[in-house]
Amino acid sequence: MIELKNLTKKYDEFTAVDNLNLTIDTGGFFGLLGPNGAGKSTTIGMLSTLYLPTEGEILIDGERLTRQNTALKRKISVVTQEYSMRQDMTIEEIMEYQGRLYFVPKKQRRKKTRELLEFCGLTDYRRRTVRKLSGGMKRKLMVCRALLTEPEILLLDEPTAGMDALARRQMWNLLKRLNRNHMTILLTTHYMEEAEILCDRVGLMDRGRLKEADAPRVMIERLGRYAVDQAEKEEMRSLFFRTQEEAVRYIAGLKGDAALRNTTLEDVFLEKVGKYLENRR
Amino acid sequence: MGIVTVLWEKWVEFRRDFYKITLAAMIAPLMYILVFGMGIQTISHGQPYLNFLIPGVVALTTMNGSFNAIAQNLNVQRLYEKAFDQVMISPTPLWQFIAGQIIGGSLRGIYAGCIIILLVMPIGLHLCFNGWSFLIMFLNGAVFSTLGVVVSFYARSHTDVPRFSNYVIMPMAYLCNTFFSSDSIPHGLREVIRYLPLSQTSSMIRSIANEEPFSYTGIGILAVYLAVLTALAFCFLYKKKNL
Repeated sequence: MIELKNLTKKYDEFTAVDNLNLTIDTGGFFGLLGPNGAGKSTTIGMLSTLYLPTEGEILIDGERLTRQNTALKRKISVVTQEYSMRQDMTIEEIMEYQGRLYFVPKKQRRKKTRELLEFCGLTDYRRRTVRKLSGGMKRKLMVCRALLTEPEILLLDEPTAGMDALARRQMWNLLKRLNRNHMTILLTTHYMEEAEILCDRVGLMDRGRLKEADAPRVMIERLGRYAVDQAEKEEMRSLFFRTQEEAVRYIAGLKGDAALRNTTLEDVFLEKVGKYLENRR
Repeated sequence: MGIVTVLWEKWVEFRRDFYKITLAAMIAPLMYILVFGMGIQTISHGQPYLNFLIPGVVALTTMNGSFNAIAQNLNVQRLYEKAFDQVMISPTPLWQFIAGQIIGGSLRGIYAGCIIILLVMPIGLHLCFNGWSFLIMFLNGAVFSTLGVVVSFYARSHTDVPRFSNYVIMPMAYLCNTFFSSDSIPHGLREVIRYLPLSQTSSMIRSIANEEPFSYTGIGILAVYLAVLTALAFCFLYKKKNL
């Protein structure tokens, strides 16, 4: 179980993460959503010990996470938002280096490397240096690298950014499979669809604060399962209804065009965070 | 063991860039020997100047080899490639990472120094390089590798490391008992320069090369530098709030 207690990160006067309290159960799949600068990557940075919290603490299975706590760090793997790899190393060398850094026995790291590269379609490129890989291939390699160590906790910061549609689907399937095998996953993403499909709980962050955390289904229910998109002058407006009947009744009373659809997590996000951002502009 | 992992990484780098590393280690020192030792032929302390110069060049090559192997590389890994993040995240104890860097850098320094020793062998100057020489070269390399670690950690941009080299490493290369005796430096500055690590290394390697007794104090001074710089590196890795 991951517990973030009163977690705060300040950079001089700027507060990137403000008193964040969050619990992620073992085997859970949690998505952290928010606009740019919401504090998602800083939270991942603190969980990976790259940033030390200004206040608060992180507990993993009841134990405090610090840079010195190597036993806890062994349980965690991170896929960072930026490509964090030596550009002059080959794919094979990157995997070997990762295995060594995590003290994975030689036989196991060779076997696992073969399996993962095969699964991600990188086997033919294993002797190619990172510099010569495409963005999508680098992203896949980072995921392969993270999985090599068979972590109990996987932190993913925008893992599918820059991937094509097919690669993204493959990634989703992989993450779902890993989660089914009880891996705890924390994911930050800009893609609401991704969070809705993958995560059993999501948290909406804005300006360093967690505004809401719940199951996507519950958040959608709370807003209203049915959405009516209504063209209003030059803008599109969405209204939400608990039942289909209510939504249909509303449309019947309209003069202009309107469309009925199911509410998505993106609607929840736009309602909770987006409207505030619009007002701020 | 994390130290072995870092040494493996250094080995991969060395194997790949073998020719570049070897040539880079040779060019500048060979120029010094050709220009100052063979071009401008002089006598120093009643002996050919080359006898004075070569131990100094070996010392400064060790310094450059070690510092350059670590500082620029680690700086790029930290600020540009972000590869250093993975080390921080991993369970490899950070002290082992630093120790690996220091040992790896020292070995690169010794390698660079050995190239010079091999290249000047045909000149037949009868200079002596023994186990003590290599121990001192290793210690000197360790000091400058650690300095490389510290500089790369505290650097805020890619240009900081070359700038540090220009302001600190390059003046040391010329002034620290390498091309001329630090005795001829004006009083005040002389005392400062005398206690710099490269001055101590040059002095000790030169004494051994000329089969004269050397002062063990120099080893102590190098050890003190090593301890202080290592403490600074640890301080950064364990205490720095944002890496």
